[in-house]
Formats: sequence, C-alpha cells, structure tokens
Amino acid sequence: MDREVKDRTILDEFASDFARVIERHAKYIIVSGFVAIAHGRSRGTEDVDIIIERIPRDSFARLHRELLENSFECIQSQDPDEIYKEYLSRNLSVRYVRKGIHIPEIELKLSKDELDEHQLNTRRKLPLTGLDLYFSSIEASIAFKEELLKSEKDVEDARHLRIVYEGKTNEQEIERMKKLIRGLRLK
Amino acid sequence: MRDNTHKEQVERWARFVRDNPRRVWKGEQARFIDSQIIMANRFYSRLEKTPGGKEKIQELRNMKNISEISKIIDNNVARKLGLKK
Repeated sequence: MDREVKDRTILDEFASDFARVIERHAKYIIVSGFVAIAHGRSRGTEDVDIIIERIPRDSFARLHRELLENSFECIQSQDPDEIYKEYLSRNLSVRYVRKGIHIPEIELKLSKDELDEHQLNTRRKLPLTGLDLYFSSIEASIAFKEELLKSEKDVEDARHLRIVYEGKTNEQEIERMKKLIRGLRLK
Repeated sequence: MRDNTHKEQVERWARFVRDNPRRVWKGEQARFIDSQIIMANRFYSRLEKTPGGKEKIQELRNMKNISEISKIIDNNVARKLGLKK
C-alpha cells in the first residue's frame, strides 16, 4: 500500500484550528503533553491542554460563540454563562471537541495564578514543531513535568524534551520554575 | 512499572528526532498518533450505537473531570481545616 508521508497529525490540525479562533479573543498557551508530542514524542493522547488569560465572562461568551460557529462544541454545556460560572471561574477545565467527533479534545482553563501568568507572558512559538502555535517555554514544560506532574509519561515527556533540546535549555530557568511550582502549587 | 527497555526506547526515539530533520520522523509519528485517534473514534462510534452506549460515553467523559473537581474539594476541605488560606 502506498503510504502518504504526512506533515501534520490530526492533533496538529485540531490544535491549530482551535487556536486560530482563541487568539482573536485571548492570549493562550499550549501546555503539557502536546508540547512533547509536537516535538516528536511518539505516544498517544486524547487531549491538548490550553490555558488562556483570565478574560471576563462577556469576552468568554464571544469566544465560545465563535468556537461553535467553527464547528466545535463544549462537552460540559452549550451555555457560555454556565461554562464560565460553574467551571472556568472556579478554575475547573472544560473540554471542547469537533462537533460529532469524540476525540481529540481541547482541555481549556483560565490562568489561575502567578505561575500561569508567567507562562503566558513568556509564551513562544517553537520552530522545531513546524506549527504556528504559542507554547509554554521548554523550561516551564520540563519543570512542570519533573516537579509537579511526575507520572511515568510526564517524566518520559520531560526526558524527551531534554534530549531534543540538549545543550539549549536554561537550567537556571528550570530551577526557578520548579521553585515557583513548589511555592504556588505544592504548598 | 515499565522496565528499562521502555526508557531506552523513549531515549533512542528522542535522539532520532533530535538528529534528523522533521520530514524524516514526522510521517512515522503521524501514522502512530493518527491511528490511535482514528481507532478510538471508531470504537466510540460503535459504543454509541449500542444500548446505553451514549450514557457510557458520558460516564467516561465525566471521569475525566473527577480529578479536576476533587482538586477543588481538597482545597475547600484544607481551607476548612485551617491547613490552607
């Protein structure tokens, strides 16, 4: 069978389509597993994690409406006021999928503390991914996975990023992020 | 717990990605990632058509939010016990 060599995965397309809508309404970053996967890590996932700046309810309602117009739907509710009040404002995430398709999902949450704000302020596009998306920094991704998340797959994600960026990561920044994580998330 | 051969494979693949241009590894990675998503969606579509399938899918989706909700509950309990401001 003749196999096409694909330049983008279903996850790449999904994240890009979603981010194209979000960026018209809020500053965003992609965090966690998809950062490693976009850098070639070969593992399965069902979701792409996105943090957006803490926008007010009205702005979120406009963002939600545009997501619906672009064939996304929220699993938790279709009512933007309910999504905002019951989930996002309480620092709970909500999940969006393409209408009628079960996975992948976007796990969306609002920035909840200084650590998220720092990640949003230091967000960057990462040319190695070949994607026009904003990610949290490699240093932040490694720090979260090694200091907070710590599951087997997270440790492997961090190892993957450390190898891909060997000699290019700022160890002092990783340590600074880990200190912030201990102070804000592990106290 | 996975054994060392898995860790070695993760590191071998990471070095392969680091040492080769994107076009060399992307196709292989894309086939793997896309297959997982396509097969999972096929499964959910089959499950959806079975009796009670839609409810089971909803239950599976709810499970994903339990860990999020438990974080809030943990924080509230910690605050009530005076362990957290």
